[in-house]
Amino acid sequence: MEELANINWGLIAPLIVVQAILMIVALTDLVRIHATNGPKWVWALVIIFANLVGPVIYFIVGRKSS
Amino acid sequence: MITVSNLTKTFGAQTVVSNVSFTLETNTATALIGPNGAGKTTTLSMLTGLLAPTSGSIEIAGVKDIRREIGFLPQYPQFYPWLTALEFTEMAAKLSGVPASAAKKEAERVLTFVGLEEAMKKKTVTFSGGMKQRLGMAQAIVHKPKLLLLDEPVSALDPVGRREIMNLLKELQQQTTILYSTHILNDAEEMTDQLLFLRKGELVESGSLTEVRTKFESPRYRIEFATQEDALQFASQSQLSATVTGSSVYVEIIEERPTMQQLLERLVASKFAVTKVERVTASLEEIFMKVAGQ
Amino acid sequence: MNTFLTLFTKEFREAWRSLKFVWMPLLFIVLGIMDPLTNYFMEDILGAVGNLPEGFMLTMPELHPIDVLSASTSQFQSIGLVVLVATIASAISRERQNGMATLLYVRPISFTALFMSKWAVASLLGIVSGVAGYAGSLYYTTLLYGSVEYGAFMKMLGTYCIWILFVTAVTLACSAMFNTAISMTLAILLLPFGLMIDSIIGSFWSLSPWKLSAYGVQFISGGTSEYYTATVALTLALMISAVLLGILFSKRNAATAKI
Repeated sequence: MEELANINWGLIAPLIVVQAILMIVALTDLVRIHATNGPKWVWALVIIFANLVGPVIYFIVGRKSS
Repeated sequence: MITVSNLTKTFGAQTVVSNVSFTLETNTATALIGPNGAGKTTTLSMLTGLLAPTSGSIEIAGVKDIRREIGFLPQYPQFYPWLTALEFTEMAAKLSGVPASAAKKEAERVLTFVGLEEAMKKKTVTFSGGMKQRLGMAQAIVHKPKLLLLDEPVSALDPVGRREIMNLLKELQQQTTILYSTHILNDAEEMTDQLLFLRKGELVESGSLTEVRTKFESPRYRIEFATQEDALQFASQSQLSATVTGSSVYVEIIEERPTMQQLLERLVASKFAVTKVERVTASLEEIFMKVAGQ
Repeated sequence: MNTFLTLFTKEFREAWRSLKFVWMPLLFIVLGIMDPLTNYFMEDILGAVGNLPEGFMLTMPELHPIDVLSASTSQFQSIGLVVLVATIASAISRERQNGMATLLYVRPISFTALFMSKWAVASLLGIVSGVAGYAGSLYYTTLLYGSVEYGAFMKMLGTYCIWILFVTAVTLACSAMFNTAISMTLAILLLPFGLMIDSIIGSFWSLSPWKLSAYGVQFISGGTSEYYTATVALTLALMISAVLLGILFSKRNAATAKI
């Protein structure tokens, strides 16, 4: 664990921030959209726990467009 | 005036619409009626230009590109859920050739006309079935088309929604030529100058409601007795082709025998108390059954 | 032109309101900065989680900016490309299948304007995402691995934009020709899968649109392949053919729109 503490977090921060924004955008959209393909709570779990892939999969197949 | 001549559509070996010809006078309403699968939607699709006819032609007097002069409402109109009613109608207006400067105004005008003034800034994804149908009407009339085509405009609506759309159509009838398909005959009976009966892709009958009625109606009489018993007895004694419903006897006059005279003579001869005798006009439904069963 | 602008507005609203212009660039940014970062921290990561045997010396190859940008490019060309293709492969077919297009097709619209409006928005989406991704990658590359010449970077970026235009044209042509399921499959086979095939057996030829992005990256090392110009020409020619096919088939298949 010591090695992890030595890592320059300043460098990694932007990556974490961008992923967080992506997750927040997806969650906000999930709350506001009227219907999804499949239950909303499942999508919430997918977005939160599947890092990067979760929000993207939600945007591609989760949003109902008709 | 709109002239349709020898319209035919075949898909492979199957003929869906066969040699259909008719004319629509300016500012009249015509009902295209027929059972499911008779070719109503296919006929309308060809009139919209969406489907190319195998043969035949559609002409609007004095118009080159008829797509400019046509408004179309499909049976189940689908809208882009991310657009508001106003945005969609404005787009429809522009695509049909309304100048960009006037499109928004025209869109607001028709949306108010169909009763969506409150909802015009809402996204269509939130709309109920009745609201979608009204938006469908708005997009079909926003460019003031000469010919308004409607595919089963009220079939999917509840009685209130149906009433509203029928009232809108009656108002529109003053300004444009309307052709609508329906299998609900009450609606056709309410608003029609001309009837077109389609069966298996062929136009089997046409004319005004009165013309068709005269042609297909064999006169029928309803004789109402005091009791059902009397009615049943009279029906069995009379030697007429009679059917009994409740305390009424329905007598159909086939080939003018018996005549009204003979019927009355028999009634007088019988000892039953008669409360009412009347001539029954056939409903469109009955005519429809006859035409369909030819 | 009016029809094009009207339809472009509609398409752009769709992409904007469904947040495509937000999430796709963010995805490309993540893809772009992942490789510079993970390579930089590789030793630390392996040391922390690798359970390497005592005395094991790990010699990491020294990476140059071109290696890092090349790694980012292959991220865009795999995950990024699949996502882009999957997002736009239904653009024309879905509207036909669910009947939304019917209310447009009965109007006197030009199918050239219709296809062009979709191509313009899809390309804008792809280009914005690609540029965002390369910007992220460039930032970390210069920070951690050394500077990159500005002109060379712009040439690489421009080349990638040509590739994106080709990708969107081909994908939309598939969507115009077939239903969504077939269009999606075909576009994925032709583009991301095609790239894979080209990278496996592509050493036998030099002229292929699938090599375009790799030729673009070579600008970073100072010069590109002698086949670069011909490859760009071939890609543009195929792109124009795809656009023409797309227009032709959007018109021909208009009658299949659900009523």
